Amino acid sequence: MARSRAFDVRRQSGFAFVALSCFVLLYLPIILLVVYSFNAGTSIAVWEGFSWQWYVSAWQNEKVQEATILSLIIATCASIVATSAAVMAALATTRTSKFRGSGLVFAMINQPLMIPEIVTAVALLIFFAMIKVATGYTGIWYLIIAHSAFCIPFAYMPIRARLQGMDLNLEQAAADLYGRPWQVFRRVTLPQLWPGVLAGAMLAFVISLDDVVITEFVKSAGQDTLPTYMLGQLRRVITPEINAISTVLLAISVALVVAFYMLSQSKKQ
Amino acid sequence: MIEISGLTKTFGSGDSAFTALKDVTVTIEENEFFTLLGPSGCGKTTLLRSIAGFVDPTTGSLTINGDDILSKAPFDRPVNTVFQSYALFPHMTVSENIGFGLEMQNRPKSEVQSIVQEMLELVQMTALADRMTSQISGGQQQRVALARALAPKPKVLLLDEPLSALDFKLRKEMQIELKRLQHETGITFVFVTHDQEEALTMSDRIAVMNGGRILQIGGPREIYDHPAERFVADFIGDTNFVSADLQSVEGEAAEIVLPSGKAIQARSVTGGATSGKVTIAVRPEHATLTAPGALIDGTLQNIVYFGTDTHYHIETDANSTFVIRRQNQPDAAESQKIGDKVGISFNPGVAQVLRD
Repeated sequence: MARSRAFDVRRQSGFAFVALSCFVLLYLPIILLVVYSFNAGTSIAVWEGFSWQWYVSAWQNEKVQEATILSLIIATCASIVATSAAVMAALATTRTSKFRGSGLVFAMINQPLMIPEIVTAVALLIFFAMIKVATGYTGIWYLIIAHSAFCIPFAYMPIRARLQGMDLNLEQAAADLYGRPWQVFRRVTLPQLWPGVLAGAMLAFVISLDDVVITEFVKSAGQDTLPTYMLGQLRRVITPEINAISTVLLAISVALVVAFYMLSQSKKQ
Repeated sequence: MIEISGLTKTFGSGDSAFTALKDVTVTIEENEFFTLLGPSGCGKTTLLRSIAGFVDPTTGSLTINGDDILSKAPFDRPVNTVFQSYALFPHMTVSENIGFGLEMQNRPKSEVQSIVQEMLELVQMTALADRMTSQISGGQQQRVALARALAPKPKVLLLDEPLSALDFKLRKEMQIELKRLQHETGITFVFVTHDQEEALTMSDRIAVMNGGRILQIGGPREIYDHPAERFVADFIGDTNFVSADLQSVEGEAAEIVLPSGKAIQARSVTGGATSGKVTIAVRPEHATLTAPGALIDGTLQNIVYFGTDTHYHIETDANSTFVIRRQNQPDAAESQKIGDKVGISFNPGVAQVLRD
């Protein structure tokens, strides 16, 4: 503890002020958004009393219903595809002997995190336009494929971390006891990996649910996910209905992040 | 029977290449308790893992009962391993762990159950069959690891320092237990350890390894009484090294002349020199303290009392240290004192000529 005495950032002058302003800037707007989702009036800035009406109206809005269903379908499919790909990628980068260019492969798996999203969006727009012209298909699979692709690195990280922390001896013991590679994976690796897989899937789900930029570029006419619907609404009349939808999205994200945290903490030893 | 011939393993390549095994050749017999003994980094674990299939040897051959197994994957080899860390599956119960290998072999359920029962009894773990492996003690985990590896009745059981994580008393118990299990099951045990006492008490034969080579193979008595190399003599037990002149060799008998000019018969070593300067090894308990004018003379430097025995440290006239260990008799008065002129003597054939 001697080190923390020698330099304790909390004792620096102005620390409390900086920390407090950061938290206020981060959370005050969100708190206001949540508060005004319960506004009885039609304004998003003038308080007129408490009411559930905007939640009811959002719930009954067919456009919102459709967008929600599309968002959930895409997020579910994308997180399943991305997580499966991420498990395979993580196995290939942690359970094989080092091969030529393995560093490059690792970088390429994570590169989508670095590429500006708008670039990916434009690239996908052009690429999918070519396919649309060739096949005439305009369904939701473009969105599912696009979301799966950019979710892979998010699913990959917790899975890889879990695999690296696992005792390699367990898999060797299973192979030694006549387990074929697939049996070793199913009976020993996967049960141990499960918290990482769930965490990765949840992260991918939240990221997909939340995406605006790529979805806006890739979606066909008439398709709307919840975020792109909200963006469209903002261009017209803003009512606390937007606040209500945002609050529900926020609640889902927070719930998933908390679950993610608890999973990554469980069985850490 | 395991026949290993010319086994070499090199890790890495170029400047960073490291040869963990150098031309290892050994035959391990059926039903034998065979120990690989050596310091850490000597290659003993690499050799064990080559048999298990986790290490791919660079060159050489390895057969079990005549079958070449080097081309086979670990799950195809008729061997099971007890890992140093036990490597029990944490998401399974004790019974599930023990039954895992049998299940992978697609044995019928009833057979799996009866063998698991039998194994639980063999290692006295029946009462804890349904516990998770994290809920049992280290010694119990050790027993489960053993039972799990023995359950499929492998031709060979490989044990990688399985006792090193146990405390002293438990280790002593498990040494006897392991010997009993080997006797009862009739399975060949290949046991890796750095503990010389463990090796001497349990093994039928010991291979002493250093620097990736097997230096000597023999029964515990042979290894202890007749070490072939300085490293073996030094690594196992305590030894006095004395330089001498080798006069002649005839079979096992070597005629040597000590620095004092006295001649005595020693035991020769195969592949050693036949004349000239050699080093001989004499165990402290194989030499006796006598009056001056013996094989080696010197001055008593120190007397250390150990309860069961007493150690006499002698500075010889050739300026080296020689230790004699004498078993204590009840109420015997110490007749020697520090600074006395004394002699060191030992019987013909006790001194071992070393190979270096």
